[in-house]
Amino acid sequence: MSEACQIARKQDLPPPGGYKPIPYLRLPAKQYFSGYSVFGIYIGVTAVAAYLYNITAKRIQKNEIEMRSAKMAIYPMLLAERDREYLKQLRRNRDAEAELMRDVPGWEVGTYYGERVYKLVPPDTLVEPIFHEYYAHSSPTEWYRRAYHKFRC
Amino acid sequence: MGELSPLFRNVFTDITGGIVDHQQMGRCARQELDFRDCMEGYGWDRGLVRCKHLLEDFQECQTNRKQFLRFVAMRRERDRKIACGELSKDRAYVSPRMDSY
Repeated sequence: MSEACQIARKQDLPPPGGYKPIPYLRLPAKQYFSGYSVFGIYIGVTAVAAYLYNITAKRIQKNEIEMRSAKMAIYPMLLAERDREYLKQLRRNRDAEAELMRDVPGWEVGTYYGERVYKLVPPDTLVEPIFHEYYAHSSPTEWYRRAYHKFRC
Repeated sequence: MGELSPLFRNVFTDITGGIVDHQQMGRCARQELDFRDCMEGYGWDRGLVRCKHLLEDFQECQTNRKQFLRFVAMRRERDRKIACGELSKDRAYVSPRMDSY
């Protein structure tokens, strides 16, 4: 009776040949270098790099020493040149003041309407000017530029 | 006078008072010392009268007031002359070189 009523049904059967074996063992990663060789490569590369760095560092140090020596050598000369220019400018300022305040009543060159700036020193003492007084006869552009470089940046 | 003392001196201001002077490498150390020596000799009231010249020099060293007033007067005169046309464009200013001060 059961053989006559066999309907072809789809069944979930194992594949032909049976199941393959299930892998359960651990799979470690593939090692290209061993541990010792990694240390060895690191030490070798560091040694070569250190040697090359030392060559360059010595050259740079020599350059720095020479640059410093050159700067120290010319520093007094630059200071002297600046002082020379400063004194020349003081003279130019005095002449400009004499010409500018020619018609102003009561003004004497180097004083404030006849009143000397420092009264207890000899009349021909150099009274060093303040910033504003040094730049009293200069164009505003130059004056502000110098103030910016001297005081702000 | 230009002193730096508080308005009402009492016990509490005396505890924390600071003595500020120019004597440590200050620019006006000499002027200040001369003035204070003179005041110490004459006392306060007579000293302000007798040491007036020293006080004026010390104040000028400290504040540079007269030098600044000179600058103001000269600048005003120059601007007036430029506005009136007495100073032409080329001769208007005498500018120093950049690094000289």
